[in-house]
Formats: sequence, C-alpha cells, structure tokens
Amino acid sequence: MQLSTQIVEEQYSLLEVIYAEMTSLGSSSSSTTEYIVRVPKNTSKKYNIMAFNSGDKVSCSIWTQARMERDMSNRRIYGEEETTEGAAGSEFGKKQREEARRKKYGIVTKEFKVEDQPWILKVNGKAGRRFKGLKKGGITENASYYIFTQSADGAFEAFPVHAWYNFTPQAKHRTLTAEEAEEEWGRRNKVVNHFNIMLQRHLREQERGEEGEEEGEKGGKKKKKKGGRGGDLRIHDSEEDLEMSSDDSEGSMGEDGEDKSKAKKDKGPKGKGKKKKKGSDFEDSDDGDFEGLEVDYMSDESSSEEEEPEKTKPNKGEDVPKGIDEMSDSEEESEEENKNEEDAKEEEEEEDGKKTPVQVEKKKKKDSSGESDSSEDSDIEGEAASALFMKKRTPPKRGGGRGSAGNSRTGSRPGTPSIDNAATSNTLRAAANKLEQGKRQTVVSSSETPAAKRLKMEPSPQSSSGKSTPQPASGKSTPSSSDVQLTEDAVRRYLIRKPMTTKDLLKKFQTKRTGLSSEQTVNVLAQILKRLNPERKNINDKMHFYLTE
Amino acid sequence: MADKGEVDLTGTKQNTGVWLVKVPKYLSQQWAKATGRGEVGKLRICKNQGKAEVSFTLNEELTTIDGIGDKSSKVRAPREHPFTLQTVGGQTLAVFTENSSGQSDAEASGSVTGTGPDKIALEGVVVQRAECRPAASENYMKLKRLQIEELSKPLRFSQQLEKAVTTNYKPVANHAYNLDYEKRKKEEGKRARADKQQVLDMLFSAFEKHQFYNIKDLVDITKQPVVYLKEILHDIGIYNIKGTHKNTWELKPEYRHYQNEEKSD
Repeated sequence: MQLSTQIVEEQYSLLEVIYAEMTSLGSSSSSTTEYIVRVPKNTSKKYNIMAFNSGDKVSCSIWTQARMERDMSNRRIYGEEETTEGAAGSEFGKKQREEARRKKYGIVTKEFKVEDQPWILKVNGKAGRRFKGLKKGGITENASYYIFTQSADGAFEAFPVHAWYNFTPQAKHRTLTAEEAEEEWGRRNKVVNHFNIMLQRHLREQERGEEGEEEGEKGGKKKKKKGGRGGDLRIHDSEEDLEMSSDDSEGSMGEDGEDKSKAKKDKGPKGKGKKKKKGSDFEDSDDGDFEGLEVDYMSDESSSEEEEPEKTKPNKGEDVPKGIDEMSDSEEESEEENKNEEDAKEEEEEEDGKKTPVQVEKKKKKDSSGESDSSEDSDIEGEAASALFMKKRTPPKRGGGRGSAGNSRTGSRPGTPSIDNAATSNTLRAAANKLEQGKRQTVVSSSETPAAKRLKMEPSPQSSSGKSTPQPASGKSTPSSSDVQLTEDAVRRYLIRKPMTTKDLLKKFQTKRTGLSSEQTVNVLAQILKRLNPERKNINDKMHFYLTE
Repeated sequence: MADKGEVDLTGTKQNTGVWLVKVPKYLSQQWAKATGRGEVGKLRICKNQGKAEVSFTLNEELTTIDGIGDKSSKVRAPREHPFTLQTVGGQTLAVFTENSSGQSDAEASGSVTGTGPDKIALEGVVVQRAECRPAASENYMKLKRLQIEELSKPLRFSQQLEKAVTTNYKPVANHAYNLDYEKRKKEEGKRARADKQQVLDMLFSAFEKHQFYNIKDLVDITKQPVVYLKEILHDIGIYNIKGTHKNTWELKPEYRHYQNEEKSD
C-alpha cells in the first residue's frame, strides 16, 4: 500500500515537474523570460520626464553639455517684495495692516512654489539651443507613471515619475510683438516683400531710439533693452525674449538681414551683455559726424554687417585701441549660417583691429559690388581709429536704410543672390551710418541706385540713378578723381576749421579719391596726425582733434 | 562635483533606453507597501512570433488592500496585469532626475550620486511606452466597485442630530476676556505725562526706525496721553492728510536725516 502511494506521489511530482517545465518553456515558436520587478524604496532622486515635441527634432545624444535651472522670473509677481523696510518711506506696522486688509477682502495670493516653476535648459553653451520646460499638471492625479529600467542583474527597477515637463525651444531671432503683428496682418495683402518687415521695424526703432535717448545712457552696458526699444513700452514674455540672435530665417542670400535685424546673440560670446551694449550704442547718436556729407543711398548689407561686430564688442566701451568703434558698433545678422560663421570670425578678427584683405574679399563676394567700396572705407576708418586710440564707438546706425534699399533691390533683382546680402563687413557700418541719415529722408527708395551710391560715401551728392557697374571682387576701385590728396596740409586745414574725429578725417580722404589703399590711408593719416600733434577734446563723448593756429 | 545647473549627460551618452509605464493608482499604492528590497512582482516578456507580450504579476503578499470599504476588506488586488505596449511616437521623451538638496545617498540604480543640492542628471530616453492594465477578474471588478462607491459619496452631507447642541454659548454676566481687559486697564492707569525731553527722545528713536506713524501707534509706543502727544508732535512733525501715507505723522524735514540714520534736533 505504502509503496503504491509512494509511486503515485512520485508520479504526481514528476508530472508537476513536467508541467512546470512546459509552462516555462511555452510553445516552441516563442520564448518567455521572466524578470523580477523592484521598486526601490530609499531613493532620494526624483524622476521627471522631459518631453520634446517631435517637430523640434531634438536628439539628446548629440548634446555635448547642458545646463538646467529653474526659471525664477515669476518670483517678483508672487513674492511681492517690499521696497523699503524700516527707515525712510516705511510706515509703522505696514506689513500687518496690509495682511489684515488682504484677509478682510479675501485676497488669496498664490504661493511661489519653486517646484512648479519652469525649467530653463541651455544646450551646448551660449551658442546652442535654449528650451523652456513647463510643468504639465495633473499627471499624478489618476494614474502613476513609472520608469522601468533594467538594472545590472537583469531585474527591472521601477521609479515613480515625480513630474512631467514639456520643453519647447525658444526662438533666438527677433519676433514681432503683438501690436506689430496685427499691423502687419492688416497689410498682408499689400506687402509682397515679407523680409522687409523686420527691417522696417528696426528702422523705426532706431529713429525712436535716437530721438529719445540721452547721451548719458550710453555708458550703461547693462541695458536691458536695445536702445531703440528703450524708448517704448513693449510687452515681452520674459527677459529672455529680448535676447536676439539670428536664425537663418527666410534664408536666401538675397535677403537683407534686417528681419533678423538685431544681431544674433549666439554669434558672439556675449549674450545679453552685447545686446545691452548694443542698446547703449544706439543711444549715442553720431549724427553730428556726418554733417557735411551728403549721402544718397544706404546699403542694407552694410547695416547687417555692422551689427555683428558690435555684438562682439561686449563691454569694451573704454578706450580700446582697437578702434573698431565703428566696426564693433554694428551688429549683424546674416541670413545664413555659413555667413554667420564667417561673420563670427570676422567679428573676432575685427576686434583685433585687423581686417584682413581675405575677409574683406569674402565679404565683398557676398556684398553687392557697390558695397565693397564702403567696406574698404570703413576698414580704413576702423583701422585708423585703432591706430589713433580712438575710443568712441559710434552708434551702429545700422542698416536703417537697409530696409528701403533692400526693398528696392530685392524687388528689382530677385534672382541675384550675390547682391543684397546681409553679410557686410563692419566697415559697411559706415555706410549704415550714412544710411541712417539718408534713410530719414528717403524711407523708401524705389530706385535701385541707392546701395551702390551710398556706399561710395562720396561727399558730393550723387544723383545719378542706375546701378554702378559691378566692380571686381577685389573691390578696389580705381580712383575716379583725385580731388583730395592725403597731405599734412589738407589734414591741418580740416583740423583748424573744426574739430574732427578720426572717422571724419577718414571720410575726407577716401580711397577712391586719393588713390591709396585703405591700409595706406590709415598709415599715412596716422603719421600725419603724429606730426601735427593736434589737441584733443571730448565732444559728445567722442575724441575730437583740433588745431588752433 | 559639477556646479549647480550642470546636467549630467551620461545617461544619454550610453543611450540607455527606459520604459514609461502607466500604472493604476491602486497598484502603485500596493507597490508602496513593498518590503525588503522592494520586490513587487515579476515581469514576463513573451515573444510570440514577432509580437512581444508583456505581463506583470503582482506578488502574493501585496494583494491585500486595506483602507477601502468599511470592514476588513475582502477585496484583493488582481495579480495579473498585461501590459499594453505603445510606441513613443514622434515625441522625444527623456528622463532626468533631480537629487533634492541635502540628500547624499548613493543610489542603488547606479547613476550619479549627488552630494550637492539639486544635482540634475539625464538618465535616459524613453524607448517604449506601456500601460499596465489589470486582467479582468472578479477581484478587480469588486475592487473597482468599492472605489466607485467611495468616490461617489459627497464630501458634505447632512445628518440629523437627536439632541440639540447646547454646549456652545451660555449666557454670562461678563466675559472672561472683558474682565481681563478691564483689570489690565485699571492697572495701567491713566497715562502720565512724562518729561517733554523724554518723550521727544522716544519719538525720535521711533522715527528712526520708520518714517510714518499712526497716532495710535505712537500713543502705544510712548504711553502718553493723546492730547499731550499731539502737542509735542505739532512741534516736531507734520501730519499727512493726503497721499500714500494717509493720516500719518512724520518728522519735519529739518529733523529728518534718514540716510545717515542720525537725528538732528
């Protein structure tokens, strides 16, 4: 009896074993693996989800470095910090009274919870992308999310998700505000050249900025807003919106860079600093410098170019020998990224006060033929300035006229990519300067002439229309007339008549007229000035030279 | 130790893929009760002719649910939970961890140990999304029913009382608080006029701290009768009728010296 039960039991156990094996193996065409799931208890790490939109094409694997911190910009709203506590301006028991009043009226102010604040994610440093991560509410209300990771021992570990943040990329290019957008919307049927929109806006701001700003503000490098904007009340979501950098928007080479008008932030090493600086530059109007000159055309390219150098001149407001005052003043936005790179390079080089012919040439390639001259001229100016330790940076006078110029130009020659391009040497900023003045009078010039003529910066008014013939890439034009020779006498005459800055002097002796190259002009002028040893005077924060005889 | 804000990107560099699983509330509650190393169950992945079937089995000891229902619950959590797998879609979902400040535990998961406040690390990218569903079973239906009953109860309800409430307010000759108040007042007595110079000293020191004062507050501070105080104040101060600081007293300009915190007399 016992034996039989034993056998039966064995049989049962055997069957069990077989059954167990079968269940674990499953059918022949499938395989099953079992893992242990663990929910670790003692973890102090909070897991969060970072969600990106599919359209943004974000790939975490290509990030080299990233920084993330909370965006505390809402603290002021909720914190309601008091201004003065104690001493002047305060009342006795004011806090308590305020609190009692709020309770009476049932005003409930929400607490400022750091946990709920958005994240600011900066990828790949200052030149990389920026994201803002907003917390998504209600994910833990009905169901919990867990992150299952496979650990080393093959088991799964489940971590609860603490919060979900949706990250959206932040635009670096300048956008229109709501009012402006509505305006443009109203004109959408009439406006054909959309690239002009930002340019016009920039022009408008510049005008306002120059009229409205005092000189004194120029010193402030830390201005939050660009000079132009400083005069108006603009609504922005956050201070970050004020940062600008260009994108390759509407990208073709043929566009004027005005829509990305304000210089790209990412170009230079300085972000906000530059921008603020830029604002300060705007305020410093250099209108007086161009009093004697008549310019009839302003080029767009020049303005865009100018913006860039200005950007890179972060906080070097002091007497920097690199007189890139003009060059650095202008900031530039190039439409294309390669252009950007070139510009960035250029900026750096210009900061050193050197403008190698190579770069000038490169720029020239992009610029319209007419602009090459101006770039040379501006070159000279910049270098002379550096040679003479001129410190002042003249306001960019950026491509105000760009808009108009670009308008006409693009309208007339849509197919020529080499023209109308945004990359301009900072020397073009000189053109932009003229631009500004000219712009005031000729907001929209329908003729094509403009850019080329203006860039030439000839003192005598150019009224002829029609584009000048494309000049060789080298940009060196043969002197059309030698009205002016760069002699000591000439310089002395000028300085006796009225105090002038180096820039002014350079304008008097333009390469076309004197037949000298930009470098030669600079050298000769520097020598002359050393010989003359003029007196220096600070007018409008700019160093002027003058002689009294 | 990286500085605050620096994101540790080791997770993304290794391309660690994780799963994002949506788990029902009751299940996560059960998981919270796990003991020991935190084992909660087993995950079974079956590859059936190309299609993967994933199912989670809850550990036996975690199936008892308490807290729902009035009596000791006869309801148990279901054990089988098949996973519904979904693709991530176009979205890029990354997982980052935040080490709360003050904690410096080494993590069992092997990622970066944070010794500083708020260390942020990118753990990985979500490669698979899944939903953990309970297998439809008797247990689960009962559980759900109980849950719904609980939730459908209104937060407030009316209840009839058998006896009227008589314990709150009784008529009293004089309230305790009032008695104390009168006693205090008696003790303090009428405010006596102190020396004018002393009062002035007190006033000046008070105005050093704040610029504007209400007459009541000044009376409180100086413990002087109102009329007397007002006389003195007329000498050295002015009364603001309009403006932001309405009906407040402040020192006359010649007596003010707020920047240096000095007083001139």
